[in-house]
Amino acid sequence: MRWTSALLALAFPWAVAAAPSAGDRLSFVSCPIVRDTVTVPCWLAEYEGEVYFLTLQTDVSAPVNPPWLGHQVLVEGVVSDEPGICGGRVIKPVALSVLPALDASCNTMLPAEDRYNLGFEPPRPPGPSRGRLAFGDPTSRSASAPGGTAADGATLKFSLSYEFDGMVAFRHAQILQRILESSRANNATGLRITAYRSASRLSNGTVMREREHIDRERAEQIRELLRGAGLENVKYEVSWKDLSKRPDGVQDVANRRVDVVVVGAN
Amino acid sequence: MTVGFQRLLVSSILGLCVGIASAQDAPPASNWWAPASGKPLAALASYPDAFGSVGVMNAAGPVNSVGHPFFEPIGQNGRACVTCHQPANGMSLSVETIRRRWEESDGKDALFAPVDGMDCPHLPSGDPHSHSMLLERGLFRIFLPWPPKAVDGSTIEPEFTLEVVRDPTGCNTHPEYGLKSAHPLVSVYRRPRPVANLRYITHQGFGVFAFIGKNGLPASRDPDSGQPSAMNLLSDARQPTLATQALEAAVTHLQFDGKLDDQRLGRIVDFERQIYVAQSQHATAGDLMEANGPSGLGVRNLASGRDGLLGNNITNFVIPLDGQWKQLPPGEDAQGAARNRMRESIARGHDVFMFRTFWIRDAMHLNTVGLGNPAKRTCATCHGMHMLGMDVANGWMDIGTTNLPWAREEPLNPWSARKPLLPLFKITCKTGVPPHPFLGSVIYTQDPGRALISGKCNDVGTIVMQQLRGLSARAPYFANGAASSLRELVDFYDRRFNIDFTDKEREDLVNFLSAL
Repeated sequence: MRWTSALLALAFPWAVAAAPSAGDRLSFVSCPIVRDTVTVPCWLAEYEGEVYFLTLQTDVSAPVNPPWLGHQVLVEGVVSDEPGICGGRVIKPVALSVLPALDASCNTMLPAEDRYNLGFEPPRPPGPSRGRLAFGDPTSRSASAPGGTAADGATLKFSLSYEFDGMVAFRHAQILQRILESSRANNATGLRITAYRSASRLSNGTVMREREHIDRERAEQIRELLRGAGLENVKYEVSWKDLSKRPDGVQDVANRRVDVVVVGAN
Repeated sequence: MTVGFQRLLVSSILGLCVGIASAQDAPPASNWWAPASGKPLAALASYPDAFGSVGVMNAAGPVNSVGHPFFEPIGQNGRACVTCHQPANGMSLSVETIRRRWEESDGKDALFAPVDGMDCPHLPSGDPHSHSMLLERGLFRIFLPWPPKAVDGSTIEPEFTLEVVRDPTGCNTHPEYGLKSAHPLVSVYRRPRPVANLRYITHQGFGVFAFIGKNGLPASRDPDSGQPSAMNLLSDARQPTLATQALEAAVTHLQFDGKLDDQRLGRIVDFERQIYVAQSQHATAGDLMEANGPSGLGVRNLASGRDGLLGNNITNFVIPLDGQWKQLPPGEDAQGAARNRMRESIARGHDVFMFRTFWIRDAMHLNTVGLGNPAKRTCATCHGMHMLGMDVANGWMDIGTTNLPWAREEPLNPWSARKPLLPLFKITCKTGVPPHPFLGSVIYTQDPGRALISGKCNDVGTIVMQQLRGLSARAPYFANGAASSLRELVDFYDRRFNIDFTDKEREDLVNFLSAL
């Protein structure tokens, strides 16, 4: 990760605006805060004197996973006009990246307070479920579901998104499984893997760039994982592209990805 | 060394061990199953244990052990599989049985074979100090190549360096058996896992895919079928199937010279897939197999249950009690009253297990898999497999049983003569490798666990969790035997996760576990 000067604030006036309005994009690095409730804990973060709600604890099926105490978190999202949750303004959609370095100062746990209890039933209680994952079973999604779109009769496209500076993690197991199954089911002859390196322009004008060569590392890792899972008799075309030169605070999250095209599918 | 002096040493070691052990019921009478004993194993047998009796059920009917490769000494050291997987100990091996066997055989039983029943093979034979791991904690030596080898035999470049900080057995620094020997080996010490209920453990249901749900990496596969493995057989998940495990165990534990033939291998695997173990009788709660009793208890219910199911929900439950035993009448007499009170305690313990929330923090491969750190959850979050209570998916994680600062260490001070029992390793993650998310780049551990197979920094100290059935028959607990009783097991979690159990919750949870 490379940090560059914050003097770009002059060039980006929105970066130094006071409290953001609904619809404003917001990107910042902060310590996460966990607040207990009578049900599941809320995850919050403070930025420039304002407390924001990031997400709730649910389960492995959640599209957004809570951050970790002991680490800073990169928050990238849009300020929502939804009612506040747990005392925080809602950022939605939101992408959270746990930063790898340990930071013992990120250690705030707040007790439950009646005024901050959830005004709705959470998707998943803090203990046993009611018989299903909070957001359904991701592995049962078909190849045509998000992440596996059929571009035409001969190709299937998948996209894996990453945390900042992140490599394959638990959340990628399911989409890798779908790539594997789709390739086998369609007698794929090849896979085109294209990986990207991104950067993030923070709201204060700072630019964070992912580590060098992570685009290539991501591409090669996906190839090796698919090979390791038994997808050996296909031709791999592996490429990578550095998109970290011009972060705009809009496409930064989407640029942290690997695209996989299954070629020759019948 | 004179015989008298040896006996004195045995007495001192065993006396010390008994002092450490729990105040549970007196050990049961000897039910040692010797290799080639020729005894049949009944379709349903029960053996006394610390809380009543454990049931052993062969779903395929009685087993004729004559000539059966699980029961015959097929290797060079006189052991059979049954030596370390005793029916009376729930197909594992309790430390009480080990100590008794030492006394009965004067330390000459094949159980104490130098290859792994001794702290290190170079130590003097017949000396109980040479077998301190077995006699104190029921631990066998597991010796693994370092650096690790992939399935194809290639060397895996580890993400960390491994330094021996403490080597009480001398094995990790030994010129023939250690890390600097001609064929470098690392020795760690682990409990034998129960050979029972394996249909559940080797399931192909919930959470078993080609990619590991905890890290997205490829799961190991059955070399014959190509199917992904649940990777829950061994504490480091190094063997994907019962067959590959048996092949390895025949060589490393039985010192079988060569490769088991398909016929004997098939008989071992067939036997292992049909045997079930669960507590069948509770000393106070009574019969756990009675008609219309809770459907999660007793070995017969276990043998007929569904595998591959997530039980961390209110539709399947991990151990279904069907709402029974919640409120019982006072009882027809004193014995009936005690039985009903214990049954109510077991039911409350079930609810503690399922519903008592606490903050789970800094547990690798638990807090990192989408729940956040910390996560407010319950015991059943991790122990979620229906009927068995182990992880239904690939189940290695680090809760601190082997990694410092949480692992049980000997308190060192001027007033104690006791020395640390287990080795200690210093793990240093290499430059360029992300630090372990909770322990940083330098980790001290008694057993690197899965990392000895994967070579990954974030796997250091991760251990595949154990099933919860037949616990009363096979103390001590955890892979390194750190908890000598169910009470100590519960206390570990209480301390590790700052749960703050009440006395009643603790007692109820122990009673629940004792009935499984």
